[in-house]
Amino acid sequence: MKCEWVRENITLHVYGELADDARHELEQHVARCADCAAELKAEQEFHALLSQDRATEPAPNLLAASRMRLQEALETAEQGGFWHRLAFDPANWLRQARFSPALASAILIAGFAGGVGTSYKVFGHPPGKTDTVAAPPSVESSITGIQSITQQAGTNQIDIKYNTVSTQEAQGSMNDQRIQQLLLFAARSNYNSGVRMDSVDLLTQKPDVSQVRDALIYALRYDTNPGVRLKALDGLGGFVKNDVRVRDVVLEALVNDANPGVRTEALRLIEPVKADGSVRGVLMTLAAKDQSQYIKSQARTMLAQLPEID
Amino acid sequence: MPADVLAMTVAVGEGALSRAKYRAEKVSGNGAREKQDPARGRMAGQERRIDDTILIREAQRGDRAAFEELVRHYDQPVLRLALHLTGTEHDAQDVYQDAFLKAYKNIGSFRFECSFYTWIYRIVTNLCLDHLRKKTVRKEDAPVAKDGNGGEYDLLDQVADGRAGANPERDLMRRQLGARISGALEKLTPRERMVFELRHYHGLKLRTVGEILHTTEETAKNTLFRATQKLRGQLADMR
Repeated sequence: MKCEWVRENITLHVYGELADDARHELEQHVARCADCAAELKAEQEFHALLSQDRATEPAPNLLAASRMRLQEALETAEQGGFWHRLAFDPANWLRQARFSPALASAILIAGFAGGVGTSYKVFGHPPGKTDTVAAPPSVESSITGIQSITQQAGTNQIDIKYNTVSTQEAQGSMNDQRIQQLLLFAARSNYNSGVRMDSVDLLTQKPDVSQVRDALIYALRYDTNPGVRLKALDGLGGFVKNDVRVRDVVLEALVNDANPGVRTEALRLIEPVKADGSVRGVLMTLAAKDQSQYIKSQARTMLAQLPEID
Repeated sequence: MPADVLAMTVAVGEGALSRAKYRAEKVSGNGAREKQDPARGRMAGQERRIDDTILIREAQRGDRAAFEELVRHYDQPVLRLALHLTGTEHDAQDVYQDAFLKAYKNIGSFRFECSFYTWIYRIVTNLCLDHLRKKTVRKEDAPVAKDGNGGEYDLLDQVADGRAGANPERDLMRRQLGARISGALEKLTPRERMVFELRHYHGLKLRTVGEILHTTEETAKNTLFRATQKLRGQLADMR
């Protein structure tokens, strides 16, 4: 009976999962029982054998690629339970309103309109006065801001001056000046990183235009989305040799970028100019003390391939 | 009610502050930031927990950047688990993607009743169990599935410098052992495999394993025992 109990608990003992009293009991028994001692030894040996095989750490590239893929998917993913969150977190609702001027204005207008409506009900329509209550904003325009709100003293007449913005469409080829300007604008200022991604992607077709190159440099330096930074990096790749500014910004990305994928790509791009003094300096720093094992070993390999010139 | 709103506003402020700090550190070189971590030692674990709570709350309010930051705190072990369980980088990436997307969509229902660690592992293990079950049904030529990530081995050999290359014989034996063990692991039931995987390869305590798999510590213990017995039977000739 005792031996049976021991056999059943030897595995847990080897994994350190037995309670203290049970462990004591087991050790006492094994000291007296040769069969169980042999069983314990066999289990320990087996454990040691298994422990030689370890779960390998995922390669930095795999981790970086997975993170990037996830980030892309998150941009279009919706969080579930919208009504749930709305009901339980009114602060969130207010916060969203604060960041969305159009929505905030719409709420304001609706509030006033409601107020006007009710006062008409209470006081009735004043005779002889034409009703000039705000015409509803046209469908294709949306309100971006309220200039002024005034109420005429003693009446329920309210004047609201508001700005609207309407969606317009521009069509043309990449050579079209206007299209280029719009893309440059989109690359820098749109809140939606999907739009930035698309515009940077198109701009990479024209990296020889100096304004475009500036926009790509800006995106690589400051864009919060690693996918956009990676696209910009690829667009700049061909200029690492001839444009010192490009070389500097690529080196900056290699050293400072938070995303391992971007760093790996930057490292690949500077390969043709690795003999350059500034590049060599950066490579030496990376080879000596970079956090990423992969970058470190790649930098070492690149340095090893360089001819000794000093 | 007003107090409630105030508290939330404060939390938002704190979050924005911590993120601003994060960005500032990023600009000044993320190397310096990472280097501080090991020095902070035990404190880091506690800070991480507080930090995570702020991030979770922000993510619950729909802040994607906060969620992405949260992902970075957990995704390496998650990917490691998925990689070891599925055997191929492709499947591991799918599990990773599905798990965190699911977490993002459902984070609103996370009520701090268990740790975020347990919660995220529940999602991952469920997806992995589904994967294992499908695999069992398909009865693929599983035992050599590890060969699929040959690229990864190459990379690791590179990282480990001369160590692996210096002793090719030992390296070969290690790989053979690995292949035999994964063959034996494939023969376990998905649940046995999962308990063994979490305890043996990922060092989780059986109590945590039980919590993750929605079962008791006692059941987890029994399952570990059964799994080990089966593996010993399979690998009896290896000693």
